[in-house]
Amino acid sequence: MVNLTIDDKQVTAPKTATIYEAAKLNGIAIPILCHDKKLKPFGACRMCLVEVEQMKGRQIPACTTPVTEGMIIRTSTPDIVKARKMVLELLLLNHPIDCPVCDKAGDCDLQNLTYEYKVDANRFTDEKFHHEIDYNNPLIERDMNRCVLCGKCARICDEIVSFGALTFISRGIETKIGCEFDEALNCEFCGSCVSVCPVGSLLARPFKFKARFWSLTKNKSVCGYCGTGCNLTLGVKDNKVLTTLYDENQGFHNGQLCVRGRFGYQFINSDKRLTKPLVRKNGKLEEAGWDEALELVAARLKDAGASTAALATARLTNEELVVFKQLLQTAGCGNYDHSAGYAHAALTEGFAGSFGASASPSTILDIQKSDLLLVIKTDAYETHPVVGFEINMAVKNKGTLLKILTDKSGKLSKLPDARTLVHTPGSEIAIINSLAKVILDNKLVDASAAALPGYAALEKELAAFTPEAVSAQCGLTAVEIKLLASAYATAEKALILFPVGQAYPGHTAALANAVANLALLAGKLGKEGGGVLCLSEKNNSQGAVDMGFQAGIGAGRIIDGCADGSITTLFLAGENPLVSYPDHARVQAALDKVEFLVVSEMFLTETAAMADVVLPVCSFAEKEGTFTATDRRVQHIKPAIRKVGQSRSDFEIFGALIAKLGGVAPGTPASVFAEISATVPGYTGMSYASLGVEGQFAPVELKPAFVMPNAPAVTVEPGKLALVTGSALYHNGTLSQYGEGPMHVCPEGYVEISRADAAASRFAENDLLTVSSAGGSMKLKAHISARMPQGVVFAPYHFGANPVNQVWSGAPVTWITLAK
Amino acid sequence: MNPIKTFVPIIQGLKITLGHLFKKPVTLQYPTERPKVAERFRGLHALNVSHNKAKCVACYLCPTVCPAKCITVEAGEDANHDKFASVYEIDMLRCIFCGYCVEACPVDAIRMTGEFELANYSRKDFVYSKERLLEKK
Ligand code: SF4
Ligand code: SF4
Ligand code: SF4
Ligand code: SF4
Ligand code: SF4
Ligand code: FES
Repeated sequence: MVNLTIDDKQVTAPKTATIYEAAKLNGIAIPILCHDKKLKPFGACRMCLVEVEQMKGRQIPACTTPVTEGMIIRTSTPDIVKARKMVLELLLLNHPIDCPVCDKAGDCDLQNLTYEYKVDANRFTDEKFHHEIDYNNPLIERDMNRCVLCGKCARICDEIVSFGALTFISRGIETKIGCEFDEALNCEFCGSCVSVCPVGSLLARPFKFKARFWSLTKNKSVCGYCGTGCNLTLGVKDNKVLTTLYDENQGFHNGQLCVRGRFGYQFINSDKRLTKPLVRKNGKLEEAGWDEALELVAARLKDAGASTAALATARLTNEELVVFKQLLQTAGCGNYDHSAGYAHAALTEGFAGSFGASASPSTILDIQKSDLLLVIKTDAYETHPVVGFEINMAVKNKGTLLKILTDKSGKLSKLPDARTLVHTPGSEIAIINSLAKVILDNKLVDASAAALPGYAALEKELAAFTPEAVSAQCGLTAVEIKLLASAYATAEKALILFPVGQAYPGHTAALANAVANLALLAGKLGKEGGGVLCLSEKNNSQGAVDMGFQAGIGAGRIIDGCADGSITTLFLAGENPLVSYPDHARVQAALDKVEFLVVSEMFLTETAAMADVVLPVCSFAEKEGTFTATDRRVQHIKPAIRKVGQSRSDFEIFGALIAKLGGVAPGTPASVFAEISATVPGYTGMSYASLGVEGQFAPVELKPAFVMPNAPAVTVEPGKLALVTGSALYHNGTLSQYGEGPMHVCPEGYVEISRADAAASRFAENDLLTVSSAGGSMKLKAHISARMPQGVVFAPYHFGANPVNQVWSGAPVTWITLAK
Repeated sequence: MNPIKTFVPIIQGLKITLGHLFKKPVTLQYPTERPKVAERFRGLHALNVSHNKAKCVACYLCPTVCPAKCITVEAGEDANHDKFASVYEIDMLRCIFCGYCVEACPVDAIRMTGEFELANYSRKDFVYSKERLLEKK
């Protein structure tokens, strides 16, 4: 700490602080325009000028100058105020001052400073800019006439998003922010640049002209898409969520969001939302009253009893899942599951065996504290983009080493010094076993490992996984495997990350066991910045696991049971298996066969259209409850708007059904959460009050053991291409199809093929290809990219209009042929 | 009862009344006679027009400042990506004719006219749409 004087006040500040930070820490405000706490100091605007006595009263920028012992600083002498006024005058000289039509008005730093410094006239005259406005993409409007050249957009796109779409182009008075060759913006549309722009140069088009900043009610919430659990601020007016707002103090991510979180909110007030219950009459779904619909469902549940099964989406709140379980138990139903069953196996079977707990030992906060990150599949960026930002920052700012084991390269591969090892699809478990084998052979084993249960058995079982043996079938060389193993083992703190989800059937319990073995052998657990983090797919996937929402035969066999008639009644709460479960034909047949299908949904999805009763439910923005993020951050959400139409929350629906079945309906979400905190390990002592706005981590207690994973043998079908499924950056599950933002930039499925394969078969971009597998065939547009290795193709799974499960029957690798 | 004390004042009163019947009236003979409305009178609003378009750019300042909260503006984006008021409504039943809206407007798009005859038969007719508010030339 250093001592210094700011405006005659004796204060202390950390040695690394800048004058701006020291002042802020001590409650003294210095105006800024180009500075952002997340970005490196830049010093472009000179709004933050202060005087330092030791520098003979010279005016220096507070945001770039580090503090030194004994500094005497003045932040608002008449001279400084004069200088700041001049800065503003010069900025306003070229600025169009079109506040009446600028969406930023009311939230604009330039406007606010102009008022604060009472700049109401200009001593200078000059022309305004005449840059062309970029309307070429549907999400971000770029009006460089308003730009004050603070550089924040270019810096955030580089430093945090690591996309690098924007930069300063031209020189002198001509300087402006542009894309490469001054062309239209075409990027990953995370909107980070929009969020930090201090003026109205970068604006969100979906919100354009919708409302003024001051007329919005700002409601804190949690993103309803992926397991990262980013915090959101919803901008609400007239009971509609009109936008997401940036709050740089929100969450571990400081308000950063991905394209889905920032631009995917439109499903909340979509016109397609169901507003009334639907009941099938004479083969057609017709609107009905709640009483009628619930009576029907209750009567049916009563009759069907044990032949009922249920599947839930991992987007329900913890409270809803608990009440759903209670409903099913009241109805005598013993078979229920979520996330297609296999998508939670890494936690419920894998980690449960290896760690004695169905949760990851590490958190997202460990990423930036780590020395080495081992990421399994570059898809981790696409599935969890804001986790990806953390990886970007760790690698770029902290010098963390990044190793990637993957079946295709991706955005993470482009990070400085990232080492990407591209293996043949489906061989990741064998490779990880082999890494463990190298650690054993090279005596890199941590002292703590030998005492753990299963060590001797593991040692024996791993004998077959020498790098030489594995390299023969995995596409990597033995040397590469050995180098990776020693880099991992010798790093002081190393963290392994891998995504799981419905599109990643290969990321199962076995992968989790293999990863856990590796971390345990190398002794990486229990240290800050080290360990293992499984990235679960949906916003409450971890919660669904913690609430124990799985019993009986599992999702796969529930579908089979519907087909063979042993299950007569199926209750789907938000699941859309027709699109998101493997093997479209099988799911279709099962849903056709099942006698009674109840779906509680926000939209008339492909699955809901087959139902006998559809119950309209409300979105996360309309209900109260908790979500548990992938690293067991439990976060509380509150209603931001009233319920749309006659929709009800799943909580209310399940409660009403319990009452109709003669059970005791639960009280409020808060009382159910009290139950949860009393019974679920790790949640002890939590309450809505204690969660606050930040949420709380549910600690994970580990009982480590070695569990030998089964490395599945990959059969190669010569002459065919290996299709791997996954998530597209713009989507998460099937919900994002109802968000306009994601659909603007990624409206349909595609098959991504390598340049070599495309050239060999003379496929061009956007050609409509017939994809055929043993399971069926379908048409998908070709997308040719440099990241795919030859012989491997990728297809995202989110799209109901043309679901990839028509050719994909749940295998980690599907062998297909492509034809024009 | 003294008849003189009772009837004299009545007769005196009637005399004055009768006298006025033959004098020139002092009140304005509305509606046959029209008042001369002062230049700064605050009557019905009008939306100013320029280049055949309403000048209003839907900045939302008038609905923000309006103490009666009787202005509804909805902005739209035209073919040139410019902002215009796709909806502009004033509920005259709630308007208090304070003129703040006129004062707030940054582009001189709204003014108040001398029009004061706003009576109507149904409530909904008091909600003036953009078309009704556009200045008549
Ligand atoms: S939206 Fe994201 S990727 Fe695109 S330019 Fe802005 S910061 Fe960069
Ligand atoms: S576009 Fe916005 S963020 Fe980027 S330099 Fe200009 S003012 Fe700054
Ligand atoms: S989708 Fe995931 S990464 Fe994106 S904002 Fe939502 S929680 Fe964050
Ligand atoms: S005159 Fe006053 S009350 Fe009437 S619309 Fe204008 S601001 Fe509102
Ligand atoms: S203040 Fe003027 S420009 Fe703004 S909405 Fe009202 S009338 Fe239109
Ligand atoms: S905020 Fe310090 S120079 Fe811009």
